Amino acid sequence: MNLVIKSEKRDAFGKNASRRIRKGGLIPAILYGEGADNVPLVVSKKDVIKILKSESGENTIFRIVFDSEEANVMIKALQLDPTTDELLHADLIKIAMDKEIRVQVPIELVGEAVGVKSEGGFVDFMAREVEIECLPGNIPDHLTVDISGLHLHQAVKAAEIVTPEGVKLLADPGAVIVMVQVPHEEKVEVKPEEEAAAVAAESAEPEVIKKERAPKDEEEKA
Amino acid sequence: MLMPKKVKYRKSHRGRMRGKAGRGSTLSFGEFGLQALEPCWLTARQLEAGRITITRFVKRRGKLWLRAFPWKPVTKKPTEVRMGKGKGDPEFWVDVIRPGRIIFELEGVPEDLAKEAMRLAAHKLPIKTRFVSRENRELR
Repeated sequence: MNLVIKSEKRDAFGKNASRRIRKGGLIPAILYGEGADNVPLVVSKKDVIKILKSESGENTIFRIVFDSEEANVMIKALQLDPTTDELLHADLIKIAMDKEIRVQVPIELVGEAVGVKSEGGFVDFMAREVEIECLPGNIPDHLTVDISGLHLHQAVKAAEIVTPEGVKLLADPGAVIVMVQVPHEEKVEVKPEEEAAAVAAESAEPEVIKKERAPKDEEEKA
Repeated sequence: MLMPKKVKYRKSHRGRMRGKAGRGSTLSFGEFGLQALEPCWLTARQLEAGRITITRFVKRRGKLWLRAFPWKPVTKKPTEVRMGKGKGDPEFWVDVIRPGRIIFELEGVPEDLAKEAMRLAAHKLPIKTRFVSRENRELR
């Protein structure tokens, strides 16, 4: 909330203009939400990275200043280059501080499971984030889940997550969050005969899905 | 070897490998992954070789996901056959990999072990790759 980011309105659009913006250490962004018109902006890449690296990450609410206007916003979506992890574009959404919003919050695991320590299992972290609904001021940085009591094949479900006051969990209560699993058995070595059969099966072609002709078409042709 | 159970058409056009991966470029299941940095046709054999390498190296620990599937048939004409007379028969199966695509994901093993397993698996692939993890992602 204390974070204030300066930005400017953007009047150049398209691929070329965006590339020129990125060369200067800035990124194109768009601001929308709360029934207002979309506002194309230019923001500093460093500022956005600073927000993402903060404790609350993408759920950080900050103030954005442009053309004597000011708004409470948060990051709605980001575009990254898949190979270089370079930040390309940011979607910012206006937030009304008195309206409940839905956000994804990361889950942090605490402790070492008994099933891992002494029973040879491993922790399968199935849902790393859960959806919650709360006022923007109450968004927790993360939700903690204690796994120290988990034995093999035991799991923590969404219903068991303890949420702070004013935070409503929207995830399916039966959804598995984390489970201690047994690693898969190694395959038994294939005998030569089986190997030959496997090769034969490999060279076999898959079934081709044939379209059934509609009876009308056949009548027409006839 | 991996291949589809059913297909709509027996043979497909070759297509192009331009651009970067639109989807499948972020870690979705595991803690660590192997990401492609070049485009290629990844064959079912290469994928299987990588999978075997990882499972053997991590020795029954952790969980592995394959994020690529060889869905595309590649045809070949028999040797010493003149050109023409139609397209050849399907010979093997590939997945079209574009830069950024995550090929393997691993979970439930320490980082150093995952890194070494991915390095060994990368040797089985025809492209440059990089090791990625959820924690050490550096935005630029």
